[in-house]
Order: sequence, then structure tokens, then C-alpha cells
Amino acid sequence: MDTAFIVVVVGLSSLAAALVARGRSRRRLRSAVGKTLETIGLAAVFLFLNVGVGFCLALLARVVGGRFVSLYHSDDVTILAVSILQALVWQWSREAEASAGP
Amino acid sequence: MSAQGALRGIGGATVALFAALAFTPLSNGLYDVLVPPATPPEPAAAIVVLGSRVDDGVLSDSSLRRALGGVVLFRQGLAPLLVMLGAGSHGKPSEADVRVRLAQDLGVPATALLADPRGRTTRDEARMCWEDLAPRGMRRILLVTGSEHMPRAAALFRRAGFEVVEAPIMELSSTVSQPQARLALSRVLLRELLARAYNRVAGFL
Repeated sequence: MDTAFIVVVVGLSSLAAALVARGRSRRRLRSAVGKTLETIGLAAVFLFLNVGVGFCLALLARVVGGRFVSLYHSDDVTILAVSILQALVWQWSREAEASAGP
Repeated sequence: MSAQGALRGIGGATVALFAALAFTPLSNGLYDVLVPPATPPEPAAAIVVLGSRVDDGVLSDSSLRRALGGVVLFRQGLAPLLVMLGAGSHGKPSEADVRVRLAQDLGVPATALLADPRGRTTRDEARMCWEDLAPRGMRRILLVTGSEHMPRAAALFRRAGFEVVEAPIMELSSTVSQPQARLALSRVLLRELLARAYNRVAGFL
């Protein structure tokens, strides 16, 4: 029921968005989906990096600094949000660079 | 494959994984594979309640569940001693101390309670507990922790020398159907899988 509800809600809002943008070509839509997947992929890479670096820093603090740092710090959900922000900044800076030209 | 293509592939896989974890019973199935079914608790020399988290004297949800689980086992007469674990920080009351006060408020006599706030990891807790209980001849323990944490915790306590009777606490329902709850379940399982992998690589298990 919960799943169906969410699918219906997202389906309706997507339909509304498609109606508003009906003048745009299918090619542009495909390109937008591609860029979105690219950004999500970038966010996943940043997430992997952030968790990995956090894990290494915690172990380094334990071994070298003799100070206990919990490995669970890397489990904080804000790391996901920050990773998405990092991906967006990276993506937009590449776009800006490309549109500025050589 | 170009970097752009690789990123799109990773993005597509991420979206597919997200959809599978949130909108299908995949995480429920993973839980059933990773968490063995609980068996009825048996009498032991001591009940040992593993730490979770405390923030400025406030027990986390899982910490409270585990502490209450320990008190229930004690009140069922399954052991004469209730050991509360859980560290503290920056001069604030430790999780173990907060739990001991809670147990006293729930009618457990102070003489039947032991707080040990020294352990910061499950492995530490197993070692500290051995230091506390082995000199008293208490080797058979009822171990109380979250269901998904139990296989790793029980292995570490057995390695420390204990005979472990498992008393897992359900901290998350394995039959959740809300997408958000399924994602929370997946997160807990993934974290536990990584912890098991780390313990194996480090030679602790």
C-alpha cells in the first residue's frame, strides 16, 4: 500500500511535469535522464570516498593518535546529503567550464 | 568506456539498488539470511547487556530496548547478576550508569547490578566483561544485544572465553513494508555486514 501510494504520487507529479514540458523533444529528455544518472553516479562515488576516508581516519586516530574514534561516525546520514551536494557542485562546475569554452 | 559512461552506469545501478531496497522485500529477505532465528533464553550465571549509545544521559532507542530486555530476563529469574555495559564521554554519565539507574528504578536490587563503562567496541566489551566475570567463576552468560548484532557479538564473547546463551532483542521489525523503514533496515544490515567484514579482516573473528 505504502509503495503503491508513493508510485501513484510520483507518477502523477511526473505526468504533470511532462504536460508542462510537452513542447520539449524526447531527445532532450533522454539527455536530462543521462545527466541525472551521471550526477547520481558521482554522488555514489563521493559517498564511497567519504565513508572510506572516514573509516581510514578513525582507524588512524586509534592506531597513531591512541584516541578512540568510532567507525560508526561514517554511518551518519548527513554524509549522504553532503555527498549529493559535492556531486552537484562538481557537476555544475564542469558544466560552467564547458559552456565557457576554451 | 568514458568517465561519463561509467558515471551513468554507477548512477543507474544506484537507482536500481535504491528502488529494489525501498520498494521490494529485498531488505526483508536479507534480514532473514543474515539474522538467525531466536531461541528461548536459558538460565546463566549473568546477564550481559551490550552498549549502544547515550547522548547526555539520554539512552538511544536501541540502548533502552536492550536494557529493558536485560531487566525482563533478570525478573524472569534467568540469572542472579545483571551487567550493564556502555561507555560515556566528556565527564557525562556513562550509558552503563544510566542503565543501572533505570534497572534500579524498575526494581532490580543494586546488589544484583554491575556497570562497566570501559568498553567502546564489542570486542572491548567482551574483554572487559571477561575481566569482570571470570574471577567470579561466571562463564556462562546470557548475552543481550540487537538481533542483527548478535552473531558478531556472540562470536567475540565466545572468543573471549564465555559460554554464550543468545538473547537477541528485536530493534527493527524484519517484516516492515514502508519504503522508509525498508531503507532503514537495509542501512542497519549493511553497517553490520561491513562490521563483520572488518572484524574478519582484522582477525578478531
